[in-house]
Amino acid sequence: MTHLPYLAAAYGITIIAIGGLSVHSWTKLKTVQKKLAQIQNNKRS
Amino acid sequence: MKRKTKRLWIVLGAMICFALAITLILSAFSNNLVYFKAPSQLINHPTAKGTTIRLGGMVVANSLHYSHHDQTPTAEFKVTDGQAAIEVHYTGILPDLFREGQSVIAIGSLDQNNIFTANEVLAKHDETYMPKEVAEALQKSGKWDPKFGPPPDADTWDHMVKPKQ
Amino acid sequence: MTKTSVPPSAKQSGFNIHRFANPGTFLRFESKIQPWVIAFGILFVSIGIVWGLFFSPADWQQGDSVRIMYIHVPMAILASGGYFGLALCALCSLIWKHPLADLAAEAIGPIGAVITALCLITGSLWGKPMWGTWWVWDARLTSVLVLFFLYLGHITLLHAFDDQQKGYKAAAILALVGVFDLPIIKFSVNWWHTLHQPSTFSITHAPAMSLSMMWPLIFCFIGFALGFIALVCIQLRAAILERQVRHLLLNE
Repeated sequence: MTHLPYLAAAYGITIIAIGGLSVHSWTKLKTVQKKLAQIQNNKRS
Repeated sequence: MKRKTKRLWIVLGAMICFALAITLILSAFSNNLVYFKAPSQLINHPTAKGTTIRLGGMVVANSLHYSHHDQTPTAEFKVTDGQAAIEVHYTGILPDLFREGQSVIAIGSLDQNNIFTANEVLAKHDETYMPKEVAEALQKSGKWDPKFGPPPDADTWDHMVKPKQ
Repeated sequence: MTKTSVPPSAKQSGFNIHRFANPGTFLRFESKIQPWVIAFGILFVSIGIVWGLFFSPADWQQGDSVRIMYIHVPMAILASGGYFGLALCALCSLIWKHPLADLAAEAIGPIGAVITALCLITGSLWGKPMWGTWWVWDARLTSVLVLFFLYLGHITLLHAFDDQQKGYKAAAILALVGVFDLPIIKFSVNWWHTLHQPSTFSITHAPAMSLSMMWPLIFCFIGFALGFIALVCIQLRAAILERQVRHLLLNE
């Protein structure tokens, strides 16, 4: 059928959205973990 | 414990009240929430001629033909809900899924000759998902002719088609 | 130093879930399951999507457009499921004053909003070629759009107040009020005439879907569900750690 552009758009938007959300969540976690480690290091030193 | 139980009852009580309120509102407006009217509803409770309404039903088998008034091809077909049928005229491109035996929604108005002139025709698809082979097997076995409506219940499919590997 | 105080009623209660009232316990549990949830999530989604896109049959009347179902249906289920999660968090927060409930609600909200948006967008991309329109105001589509706005409202309320506790409370109330949209979404196609077709799956009879399409759908759903859980856990972990950071900075 000639409706492939709709199919491609649907899968494309999903991958981009989920991918973006995952990257955002992961970097948020990494940033906080780094900050926590930094503070705990400062307290020790 | 006592304060927690009290909070529990307050929350539950509020939610029950809200649920009742919503049920009452929905049942009161039920008529206005329907997206389309069926042909028998339209015939029994006719709206003023010329008002735009949505008509939903199944395209009657062997009722589709094209006429050529004013050089623009007009599709003419009947839409039924099993109890009554209404003739629909539509000038324009019909959706891909349109065929006899398919459920459709026509948006337009009924004129004085009880002919529904549609500005837009949407095709519904039913909740059945099956590959071509299953559809063809059902048709070959004589159990189903798509022109006359939706396929038989899924429970019966396995008896007509060999299970795929 | 990393423990936050647990209300005494939680310790006395025999209800198991209060083990997780201690953020430390949750963090330890979550760190154990996280790699598995992520790995299996990616595995199931990959299998499901490749199967659905390339190895499942085209529908007899919809052709290849039916393959949008493998995304649209899991998103729809997770959208409602996510909001139900918000409602559960709200109950835990308002009635049992569970310390993690508000943070969990804060984590679920944005993810649920994205999933609901994807459900609506993939639905439109499916509807345009099949029905002939991007959108109709029938009961199913409208109630899912309402769900999207409920998510947005929830996120907004959480950040609307100077006093964070007021924000948590307001959001929890919205979650409990909005949860009544969920049965409307589910039963809209049965109660009223809609353009959206009725349910393919029912508890009482065989699904109106061939197995060759149902299996990739199941894999996709499991994959997306695991992914949803993984993302919520990651966000919740980040929120708990952020709270610890703030504690430490305040105690300097």
